[in-house]
Amino acid sequence: MKILKLLLILIILGVGGVAAVMYSGVVDVAADEPHSDFVYWLLEETRETSIKKAAHSIEVPDLSDPELLLTGGVDYEYMCSSCHLKPGQNESDMSLGLYPAPPNLAVADDSHKGHEHGDEMQSTRKNFWVIKHGIKASGMPAWGKTHSDERIWAMVAFLKRLPTLTPEQYQVLTAVD
Amino acid sequence: MKTLTKIALILVPAITLSVTVAAHDPSMHAKKAEKADCSKMDHSKMDMKDPVAVAMMKKCMKQGKASMNKMDHSKMKGMDHSKMKEKKMKKDDHKNH
Ligand code: HEC
Ligand SMILES: [Cu+2]
Repeated sequence: MKILKLLLILIILGVGGVAAVMYSGVVDVAADEPHSDFVYWLLEETRETSIKKAAHSIEVPDLSDPELLLTGGVDYEYMCSSCHLKPGQNESDMSLGLYPAPPNLAVADDSHKGHEHGDEMQSTRKNFWVIKHGIKASGMPAWGKTHSDERIWAMVAFLKRLPTLTPEQYQVLTAVD
Repeated sequence: MKTLTKIALILVPAITLSVTVAAHDPSMHAKKAEKADCSKMDHSKMDMKDPVAVAMMKKCMKQGKASMNKMDHSKMKGMDHSKMKEKKMKKDDHKNH
């Protein structure tokens, strides 16, 4: 009986605590006010674990066809570069204004810190999954609703080479023909 | 106030402001549909085994830029001319005059 009472009190306290946080307005949802370190870590771990689990069984096709760089490049320039930048550009309204901030995909993986990226295959799968499904409550859209898997794989292939491209190479690959 | 604090008080807003101004350069908002600029390609440095180089060649051939005629193919590494579409190049050349 005593244990049951204690449990009931704990549950009421828990629900009450959550309600107090929700309705008191203490949570700041402004994008120009960063999360506390703890909340940031909580969200980051949740996101990385979720993506890793969801993406681990994706089969990666052959991405060596140069043609993929052309389709993927044009799509990247028009759909992604405003947020994820390109060679020779290191900020935009979106890259500065969004929170969580879109990572600069034109620089090599290990030059942005904060999370580990796993091996090459895993990051290829991860990129495909993230592009197709997007990331909740961030600016990253789910492109799979409007684009075929083939077009998404082409962007994945392009992303592999993107950090190695000069602004001139980028311009040629991504220009419309 | 310490000198360091003063410097920080001036520098932090100054840097923040200048960064914001740069990000709002109107030219960045104007999306222009540019053609590929093939004239800057340095063909002597291109390795035709690199997918990036092959993709750039394809793009520039499709566009039929005049620069194709000036290309020095002898300096390219691993270029396979048999794979290039002769017909397409000739047709595209006519767009330039
Ligand atoms: C409106 C802005 C926006 C656009 C447009 C956008 N993204 Fe994103 N993207 C984001 C944000 C923000 C994140 C980070 C989300 C997070 O950290 O929770 C992200 C994350 C990603 C990641 C994961 C990177 C990593 O290493 O964690 C990839 C890959 C990606 N985007 C690819 C793309 C591609 C490809 C396109 C174009 C088809 C695109 N994005 C368009 C905002 C955008
Ligand atoms: Cu990253």
